[in-house]
Amino acid sequence: METLSPSSSSMSARQEAATFDEFSMRQSLLFTDSLKDLKSLRSQLYSAAEYFELSYSNDEQKQIVVNTLKDYAVKALVNTVDHLGSVSHKVNGLLDEKVNEVSGAELRVSCIEQRIRTCQEHINRQGCVQQSLVITAPRFHKRYIVPEGESMPESGTTAVAAHQELAFQLTDDLELQKFRAEHHSAIRDRPPSFRRMRSLSPSPTTRTRSASPRKGRSPSPFPHPGKFMSDKRAISPRPTSNLLARSGSLAVRPTHLNSTSTARRFLVEAQKSSSMRSHAERNEHKQMERLPSKGKGFLKALLSKRRSKKDEMLYTYIDEY
Amino acid sequence: MARAGGITNAVNVGIAVQADWENREFISNISLNVRRLFEFLLQFEATTKSKLASLNEKLDVLERRLEVLEVQVSTASANPSVFASH
Repeated sequence: METLSPSSSSMSARQEAATFDEFSMRQSLLFTDSLKDLKSLRSQLYSAAEYFELSYSNDEQKQIVVNTLKDYAVKALVNTVDHLGSVSHKVNGLLDEKVNEVSGAELRVSCIEQRIRTCQEHINRQGCVQQSLVITAPRFHKRYIVPEGESMPESGTTAVAAHQELAFQLTDDLELQKFRAEHHSAIRDRPPSFRRMRSLSPSPTTRTRSASPRKGRSPSPFPHPGKFMSDKRAISPRPTSNLLARSGSLAVRPTHLNSTSTARRFLVEAQKSSSMRSHAERNEHKQMERLPSKGKGFLKALLSKRRSKKDEMLYTYIDEY
Repeated sequence: MARAGGITNAVNVGIAVQADWENREFISNISLNVRRLFEFLLQFEATTKSKLASLNEKLDVLERRLEVLEVQVSTASANPSVFASH
């Protein structure tokens, strides 16, 4: 019951609008009428003043004329005050209404300006984002760019293009894997060194081996292949992946160019170093063996001295008795 | 008789003077109210003028701002690529 249909609400709105328009029209008509009356009041007052002057001079009943003049003046003044009050009220209301309308319009304009400012800020931000995306910051990697074909005095090689270098990388990778497999097989064939075995596993088998250290000693620098692959490579500051990543430079290093020869060279050097290390270890063991033998002799001498002293003491005791 | 005529004349003069004073009081009241009305009209004129001046200033400012907005909108509508979604 309380809900009104849209048509009824629109009708009521129209009626309200019509009543408001009619009210405003009536008010405006009244205002114009009062303005006209106020305009004509001056002439009316002048004519009334002339009439009362003539009647006062000509008529015998001057008191009545004066009283009538007084009443007319009072009524004219009151009417003028009413007219002026209504006109001033109307003008004041009209001005206030216009000022309010202007304030509302200023508010709307400021709102539109703020929206436009926000749009401009958004546009500027989008432009900045676009420009920042367009300008890509250069990235400098650790690489030495040498023109293709020029010789590098330090390495004694020439610079190669990137695609050739990639091919070299692939071949080097394969050869490196082959070298690793060969090296691992060679290491597996050799027995582990005495020191490493002793340090790694204090098992009874190693103790039995420690009895004959020369047999357990191996000339290999890599006593445990698995350990070598896991621990040594993990500790290395430049792993194989880094090596490959570093080979992204245009200047190809001799290690990558002659990887097979270097691998062989590395193997020979490793064998040499292992032989040298084994020789040094042998010397150390000899010295270690010499030292206990010296100690044993010294102990034997001391024991023999003590025994001789004890024998002498025994003999003297027997002699006394 | 002369005394009575003199007294009546004096009474008549007194009445006339009183009436004159009443008329003067009435005229002074009327003139005072007219002056008040005139002062009100002057004050009303001043306030109305100041209000109209402020309204005129506000309308001028509003007109300028609207002109600026119109120019901005016309510029934006002339270059629609600025509002294109990226």
